Amino acid sequence: MLPQVLFSGLALGSIYGLVALGFALVFKATDVLNFAQGMFVVVGAFLAVTAGTQLHLPFALTLMFIVVAAALIGAAIQALLIRPLTGRSMLSIIMVTIALSIVLRALIEIIFGPQPRALTTPMPTGVFIVEGVRISQLHMLAAGVSWLCLGLFALFFRFTTFGLQMRATANGHEAALVSGINVDFVNRVAWAIGSVLAAIGGLFLAQLQLASTELEGIGLLALPAVVIGGLQSIPGAIIGGLLVGLIEQLASSYVSPRSADIFVYTLLLLVLMVRPWGLFGQRELGRV
Amino acid sequence: MSGEQAAVSAAPAVRPARGWRAPVLLVLGVAAACYLPFILTERAIFGVRLSNMQLLNIGLTQVNLMMITLLGALSLNYLTGIAGLISIGHAAFYAMGAMAGAVFGTQLGLPFPVVLAGSALVGAATGVVAGLPSLRVRGLYFVLSTFALHYIVVFMLSEYQFRFFDVVGIPFEEATLGTFVLDTPLRWYFFLLVLCVLVYVGLRNSLRTREGRAMMAMRDHELAASAAGIDVRILRLKAFACSSAIAAVAGTLYSYYMTNVNAEFFTIDFAIQFVAIIIIGGMGSLAGSLVGAAVWLLLPAVITGFAAQIGSTDSAFGTLLTESKPQLVNLIFGSLVIVLLIFAPGGIAGIGRSLRDRLSVRVR
Amino acid sequence: MAAMLEVEGLSVGYARKGLALDDVSLVVPTGGIVALLGANGAGKTTLIRTITGLLPMHNGRVAQGRVRFAGVDITGMAAHRLVRLGLAQVPEGRLIFKQLSVEENLQVGAAFLPRGKVAERLEAVFALFPRLRERRRQAAGLMSGGEQQMLALGRALIGGPRLLLVDELSLGLAPLIVEAIYQQLMSVGETLGTAMLIVEQNAHVALEYAQTAYILDRGRIAMSGDAATVGASSAIADAYLGLAGEVPADV
Repeated sequence: MLPQVLFSGLALGSIYGLVALGFALVFKATDVLNFAQGMFVVVGAFLAVTAGTQLHLPFALTLMFIVVAAALIGAAIQALLIRPLTGRSMLSIIMVTIALSIVLRALIEIIFGPQPRALTTPMPTGVFIVEGVRISQLHMLAAGVSWLCLGLFALFFRFTTFGLQMRATANGHEAALVSGINVDFVNRVAWAIGSVLAAIGGLFLAQLQLASTELEGIGLLALPAVVIGGLQSIPGAIIGGLLVGLIEQLASSYVSPRSADIFVYTLLLLVLMVRPWGLFGQRELGRV
Repeated sequence: MSGEQAAVSAAPAVRPARGWRAPVLLVLGVAAACYLPFILTERAIFGVRLSNMQLLNIGLTQVNLMMITLLGALSLNYLTGIAGLISIGHAAFYAMGAMAGAVFGTQLGLPFPVVLAGSALVGAATGVVAGLPSLRVRGLYFVLSTFALHYIVVFMLSEYQFRFFDVVGIPFEEATLGTFVLDTPLRWYFFLLVLCVLVYVGLRNSLRTREGRAMMAMRDHELAASAAGIDVRILRLKAFACSSAIAAVAGTLYSYYMTNVNAEFFTIDFAIQFVAIIIIGGMGSLAGSLVGAAVWLLLPAVITGFAAQIGSTDSAFGTLLTESKPQLVNLIFGSLVIVLLIFAPGGIAGIGRSLRDRLSVRVR
Repeated sequence: MAAMLEVEGLSVGYARKGLALDDVSLVVPTGGIVALLGANGAGKTTLIRTITGLLPMHNGRVAQGRVRFAGVDITGMAAHRLVRLGLAQVPEGRLIFKQLSVEENLQVGAAFLPRGKVAERLEAVFALFPRLRERRRQAAGLMSGGEQQMLALGRALIGGPRLLLVDELSLGLAPLIVEAIYQQLMSVGETLGTAMLIVEQNAHVALEYAQTAYILDRGRIAMSGDAATVGASSAIADAYLGLAGEVPADV
């Protein structure tokens, strides 16, 4: 039983890590804790419903549609809602993202109706068994794509000029401005990427379960994941995601499914009390 | 603003140094607040029948629930707007209140006033625990700790519910104050009205004390407050205890009013509604909490009214109104919060203040 | 002589506060070195922020007047566009990217250059500050104060600016290091013909290198003229004594 639990924990954790990476990117670039990230996951799921189930686009086009639409939504949100609040109190900015998630949820339920939708994609749904462990192909694919995205972003940050500018902006806004970086543009791109990563997570979660606004709760797990890993640390976000996936699966298998979230949030509280800079963050940055 | 809002808001609004106007407004306010429930139950004003539309589809039950929500909003505004501590887990204190009510009332059968007092104590204790992280972390990190706390407390409530009761929820008996049985919405109305006024006046007065001023100093500038010889840490815990005691009592009242409570009621959205209310009304303005709570009450009612009028026609808009009413309410509520945050960070109370200033300047 | 930077009748205020700058005019000639002196709170930082487009970030706004750079009106222009036009800055507190390596810091400063030119410019900066070459792979935050100041200077110079704004360069550095960095700065000015506006609380150091000087006192220009005259006048002592009540050690 344990290998089975570990496998699904790591597979789910990879998806969480992807969503958490988007969350951490937005936080690092713009200092905004995006409580709408969970809703961005849902948006991704319903973009997949629109393209695949309603428009009957081929799968490759569906993927492109999701990425482009999610990027535009993220950029538009930065331009319309986040930028005007630059320099405002933390509560205002947190609250605007919360209000945004309320609005997005309402819009989705109005457009698509409150019933969950099944996703029809050609993604493999079979299972193969290795030494008694049921390996779901979809889980494997989700984990594989997540790791591919993570790898691509690592290369992007390391080797491109724009990636360097994003890292610099995350390091200090005013410093970035005096160095000639178009900080506003960098921020917009960060929001676009954050939204795309959440949407890809949403695509997989919708295929694993169903597309519904219930996925928001799963998307919001990115929040504890990022903090547990270290709010300022990009690798920390990914490891945090894996950890949350493992904890969830272990708790629901060995304790009870209802208790899964509690273990995660209790760990979050413990980390905040004992090691606010996170398991992989740097100490000096832990306090605000 | 509609008549009933003005009625409720005028009652506690004792503004000093206005000569004859203050007492007259007070008397009018009290009179209006006392007459309001009769308008709503008899659906008539001074004998003139009013249609549901004219009453904005509001019944007394909604007003009562608004007052219970107002208690939560007041306590959060005190914590966030005045003491400067942000909590997005305020529903946790409501849940604690529900649990305390269930233990003291439903299980032990204690009298209602004792249950309320016990719930306040439990709430205050929870508040101190919830405030503990504030001794160690600030800002975002603290907000996150209230977020985590929410999930933990609600989980405790659901475990408790499943241990001693069932999926349906926790039943609550009729509340009685001595011989006064709170068995009709009308009786609840007057009980809640008195309670709201007491809490409002109490919080208002507490702001004028040395500690109240210190609290606002702490919100505006923590270092300055520390330098002025205030132990900021103790003050923070006190603010938390006070706020969560009020919220817990509101949670108990909510449970008794609903007569049956389920752990599933206390979602994170439930907590967020309080934050939305104080942002709409105006952060740091206790009177603003009332305005925010009124918007929260009126919005669904107005949309229901619209739906009733338009819904009979076959238009797409009519179907939208009838079929997606809760979504529409959320859409408007959320958009209102966003628009206010961007264009009027002081909320409706802030807009009111700047209008008043502009008017008084013109008069002079 | 053509002016590189012209500030004309500039008044600037912050939200809900009075004016931080009141009718300030100032000229930096092409290739010239100008010192801007004044006590803490005299408005030096506000003037720099206005010129470099950082004012909106600090909730300030221009009430009156304009700033021209090489003849172009740049009042209210976004900070990153100014850098691309050739107006670079060594900010107060250095503001280097502590988590990035030394070389990455410099690459950020050169990001707007055509790709082919970056390596060449990087070499030029390393030639100017050999110490930075030795430490090119190190995280910038781990270097000494003087080295960090060199890095900030290198980052500003790598784009080949026509005007360099240097804000409180001497702050927190030992006098010998200050002297060394200024020497290098001056040799850059001579070889590249870069104009400079040097903001200093340490009046003595700035006057030593500048040709002309302005004294800012409570948001107004209290005195201006060639550096020697300003240095000898009593206005300089008044400017410092008048507001903060502290005399810089070197005056």
